[in-house]
Amino acid sequence: MDRTERLLDLVALLLDAQEPVSWAELKEAFPEDYGAGTDEATERKFERDKAELLELGIPLTYVQGDEDRKDGYLLDRDAYYLPDVGFTPEEMAVLYAAGSAALASGAFPGRQDLQHALRKIAFFADPDLPAPRVRMELGAVREARHVPQHLESLWTAASTRKSVTLVYASPRSPRPTQRTVDPYGLALRRGIWSLVGFCHERQALRTFHVHRIRDLKMNTSKPRTADFQVPADFRLDDHVPHAPWQFRIERPTEVTLRLSGGLADRAEAHFPEARVTREGGRTTATLTVTNLDPLLRHLLALSPDVRVLGPEAAVARIREMAQAVRARHKGAA
Amino acid sequence: MSDVHERLRRLLLVVPYVSRHPGIGVDALARALGLSREELLRDLDLLTLVGRPPFQPDDFIDLHVENDKVTVELDQRFTKPPRLTPAEAAALAAAGELLRPAAGGALATALAKLEKVLPATARLRYHALERTVDMRTTGSADLGEIARAIAERSELTFDYAGKVRDAVEARRVEPLELFSHRGQWYLSAWDAVRTDQRLFRIDRMAHLVVTGRKFPPRVAAPSHVPDPAERGEVRVRFSAVAAPYLRERFGSEVRELADGGVEVRVAGDAERWLTQWVLSFGGEAEVVEPAWARAAVARAAEQALAE
Repeated sequence: MDRTERLLDLVALLLDAQEPVSWAELKEAFPEDYGAGTDEATERKFERDKAELLELGIPLTYVQGDEDRKDGYLLDRDAYYLPDVGFTPEEMAVLYAAGSAALASGAFPGRQDLQHALRKIAFFADPDLPAPRVRMELGAVREARHVPQHLESLWTAASTRKSVTLVYASPRSPRPTQRTVDPYGLALRRGIWSLVGFCHERQALRTFHVHRIRDLKMNTSKPRTADFQVPADFRLDDHVPHAPWQFRIERPTEVTLRLSGGLADRAEAHFPEARVTREGGRTTATLTVTNLDPLLRHLLALSPDVRVLGPEAAVARIREMAQAVRARHKGAA
Repeated sequence: MSDVHERLRRLLLVVPYVSRHPGIGVDALARALGLSREELLRDLDLLTLVGRPPFQPDDFIDLHVENDKVTVELDQRFTKPPRLTPAEAAALAAAGELLRPAAGGALATALAKLEKVLPATARLRYHALERTVDMRTTGSADLGEIARAIAERSELTFDYAGKVRDAVEARRVEPLELFSHRGQWYLSAWDAVRTDQRLFRIDRMAHLVVTGRKFPPRVAAPSHVPDPAERGEVRVRFSAVAAPYLRERFGSEVRELADGGVEVRVAGDAERWLTQWVLSFGGEAEVVEPAWARAAVARAAEQALAE
């Protein structure tokens, strides 16, 4: 019998059973599958089927019998059936819109899980859900065709705590390197997916851009045994900043800016992490920076609506950059 | 995940779904389940073989397709789908984060409800998994207001810093769609004054007001953010320091230079974008031609240096 069919038959049997189903009864019910062959082989076969059902979230338990009840397998129907979650139309719309936007983007770790989740929550919903008015587009790089597939593998590896071996091409190194990584998690920032994990070669936490992964293999030995544990105090957000100047490369410095023009009104939107003050028509923003040059390049692009007030080293460095731009475009103005 | 695993998950949903929507069309069912028509028909075929031992006639799932409509006579207790697995719930929660700035309170209450229907034993794993993906977007508080205005079809006004440098314009629009492009939020809206659908970057808006004036439903034309990698008239050169990043972004469109640098051609229809983009390389980029684009960058550099 086809394995999918057998597993469904098994669920049908257990869903209907009024009392625990014993191993002897299972062997009798599926003579070709659990009845034939050595005890060891058929038990192993059943254990694999049981593990598959448990992974699907099917609440299958073995109960020890007593005077009133025999030993056997039981499926807890209350725990099996999805109850009506009771989402309001607004809640449903938010989940549906976010889920659809993530799926439509073409690259989301746990794509299949997300698809199933959306189908399940839609079960009780009005079939005429409004079309989502939200979209997400990634695509900051050209060669990104492996990204969806790598994300799916990384999600599987991270959720089952299996190590991965990857070939990684960084623009900063001349040749791709091979790394073994314990994948702790995945984060999306500015349209780019990053993997954060413990790198065996460097013996430290490292961040990898998923689109720079050339080849990826998950450790397939002992698929049901975790290769690693994620430390309790690990937070993805500590390792994948929202802005390039938050990468922890230098010691933290406080940079103060004066904002003018339209940017003064949009200070909080533009620098969500800054402390913004407005006094007598002057808007200033103070940021804590651990990677100064990317911030200064960003500020240069926004000039003249922004001026760096301090520290002195930052003022000098952004002038240097502006002079370099001027020198390269000499005689054009 | 294995094919068996995927197929099983899907099949456990089909019978309940048809029970709930008796007589649903094959195509509508395929759409609802995200399958092709052929895949669905294969799944339906398999389901007619499913039953419970001892496999008497009444022990099988009785499901048939007639006149392209699907009905279930005997569901064998497959009346509702199974609960969400921790991984399914975590994937949904992670995707939800994408909309947090735009969702108001609805996301938080939705996720609380979602957690409540997980089996107790699954919650711990759900929380561990939920930490595995982080799609949080930063965005101004305006996103929530804009999302509400789209849903209510209510007109918006705001000041906008548009394509031309140093200019801020007052806009009055009918908001149609929000979207996130490379982590940047945009609004696609009908501009009644210009009688055209336009794209606005949320971080270039100020003084946003939901006027409350309603507008009739309008079909949004698909809008997209212009890709700078689309070939255009502006030639920009980059030093060897910046070159690896350009190769990554532009792929085979870059032209390699003898000094280790690269040259790309980009569109020049937005002066603000072009000058900002060149400046954001802090002296590692140079516009070769046309002259107006060189001049615009030179002017911007002068302005940056002026006291």
